[in-house]
Amino acid sequence: MPATERSPETFVSSVQRPGDFDDFWNGLLAEVGEIPLNPTVEHIPMRSTDEVDVYEIGYDSLDGVRIAGWYCVPKESYLPPPYPGLLIVPGYVSEPTLPKSWAKQGYAAIGVAPRGKLRSNDQFNPGYPGLLVHNIVDKNTYSYRGFYIDACRAVDFALTRSEIDHSRIGVHGSSQGGALTITTAALRSDVITCGAAGAPYLCGFMEAAALTHSYPYEEINEYLRLYPERERQVRETLEYFDGNNFAPMIKAPMLVYIGLEDDVCPPETGFAVFNAMNCEKTLHTAENCAHDAGAFWEMAEIEAFLAKHLQPGAPAHRAETTVG
Amino acid sequence: MSQQPTGFSDYWNAIDAELAAVPARPELEAIPMRTTHFCTVYWAKITSIGPYRIGGYLSIPHGDGPFPAIMQTPKYGSVNHVPDYNDRKRYVMFTLMHRGQRLTDSPWAAAYPGLLTDGIASKATYIYRSILADCLRGAEFLQNRPEVDSSRIAITGDDLALITAARRPGFSFVHAAGLMFYRLMENRERTSAYPVEELNDYLRAFPEQSDSVAGTLAFFDPVHHVSTITARTLLSVGDGGAVGGPEWLQPLKDQIGGAVEEYRVTHRGGTDNDSIDAWLANQLGREPMSKFRRTLP
Repeated sequence: MPATERSPETFVSSVQRPGDFDDFWNGLLAEVGEIPLNPTVEHIPMRSTDEVDVYEIGYDSLDGVRIAGWYCVPKESYLPPPYPGLLIVPGYVSEPTLPKSWAKQGYAAIGVAPRGKLRSNDQFNPGYPGLLVHNIVDKNTYSYRGFYIDACRAVDFALTRSEIDHSRIGVHGSSQGGALTITTAALRSDVITCGAAGAPYLCGFMEAAALTHSYPYEEINEYLRLYPERERQVRETLEYFDGNNFAPMIKAPMLVYIGLEDDVCPPETGFAVFNAMNCEKTLHTAENCAHDAGAFWEMAEIEAFLAKHLQPGAPAHRAETTVG
Repeated sequence: MSQQPTGFSDYWNAIDAELAAVPARPELEAIPMRTTHFCTVYWAKITSIGPYRIGGYLSIPHGDGPFPAIMQTPKYGSVNHVPDYNDRKRYVMFTLMHRGQRLTDSPWAAAYPGLLTDGIASKATYIYRSILADCLRGAEFLQNRPEVDSSRIAITGDDLALITAARRPGFSFVHAAGLMFYRLMENRERTSAYPVEELNDYLRAFPEQSDSVAGTLAFFDPVHHVSTITARTLLSVGDGGAVGGPEWLQPLKDQIGGAVEEYRVTHRGGTDNDSIDAWLANQLGREPMSKFRRTLP
């Protein structure tokens, strides 16, 4: 059979939305809502500057797992409150961001470390590689069940902070951070004001795995090489965690940016999740770019998008490039 | 710039002596999950100074060797990926985890942020003394594998790759990008981005240690190591006027012992990935392969 050129912009995803998708996630949100947040905030003088205070934070999440994070806030002497809140959600292998540069731009910025990430891995630690396929045959114990909720709980943490304007809370990340931007904006559509998602991962899992041999999706290929008889169970589980099924729930404006030669998160899946959004949305595509998704140029666009919707008060200052 | 700090050779020779006194005692365990029809992937454990048991992914193609090989030095962060699928088809691949990274984080786990300044007040206690020893031990391990064609071994990574290539001359090719230790005390003045910001954090907290920190870092600046590189080196070079740009890297380039080529990064990952892959493949006698499949079967 002759090889065919890829046409990612015309790709149509075959991901199905389970009939009980909403019930599944509403049930989990209700379950975690019964768990006291127990937020803790510890000032870290060593990481703080004249402009920004840095805190290590903690909160309780699903299954009683304790979640860590960084919280960076402009000093009142630098910029008086209230501040817009901004969740910075992490990539698959990268360390959770210490979002000082975002705070310098005027955001009260939370660097989320969902379960399994360093400092949130005492009770849950499937490892890397491993997270993507941990209990992948069972939606009720699959790794991303708690992982997605942990990011949502960071929104709850933001809502406990009096210095944050609760009507201006955004979310941003790339790769897995792009996925968490989508799932958090969907599951907390009552709160999230806007989202910027780069190279979104965890969208069209099985289709992505068929299009690439790059990690992390290669973990799925490896798992199914070893256990081909489990493919149906894997597919059933993943439909509950697929960004394509969260996308229609988003109400806030979204910026999505993708690389057209992304071997990690194939561009087909980026187009598909963008097309599944019914909100106000913008797509930026970067020619010849891979998993960087054009971040070298795109960061200025992201900053402008977030500033437009969240209106931070600080003078312009470049944030760190968001990595997947 | 190229003046080595006093005691430089003694410091590094002492690390070599420590390594020589500790048997590597390699141990290979096949990983069926990562193994394919064309290669076997192992978790390879070796002992470094301390003694500390470190490890890495070793992938060996099926068939008759010896094969060209690539060592990937550890990145800054807790996780290093399994070697790329296309690379495993063409080369023996060895991806090292230094002590403290995931999979080698027992008995000691590195902190992020924190690793860059761990013990930095003294070159004797600085964590990168041990991390470089881990890289050197990894190089010895790979260079002595019977499956490896000793005339075709490359090393890729950041400063760790350059320093390792300088001190273990069995490498024929080097690709270096994203240097962290090169001119670090100058670089820190120009950025607030992590991980370099760790150094700014540290020196805000301990300003009186500025001289001792600079003294420690001088031992790890690749500019003081690279004159002994004999391999052909490809240096990824950023934009003019920027940290990592041609002017910034020129003093380093001038010191590198072997032949040096520059690759000017385009910031377009697809183009950059393919270009560097092609350079390595050409050096190592293999076909270039793009990670991004432009056509589908």
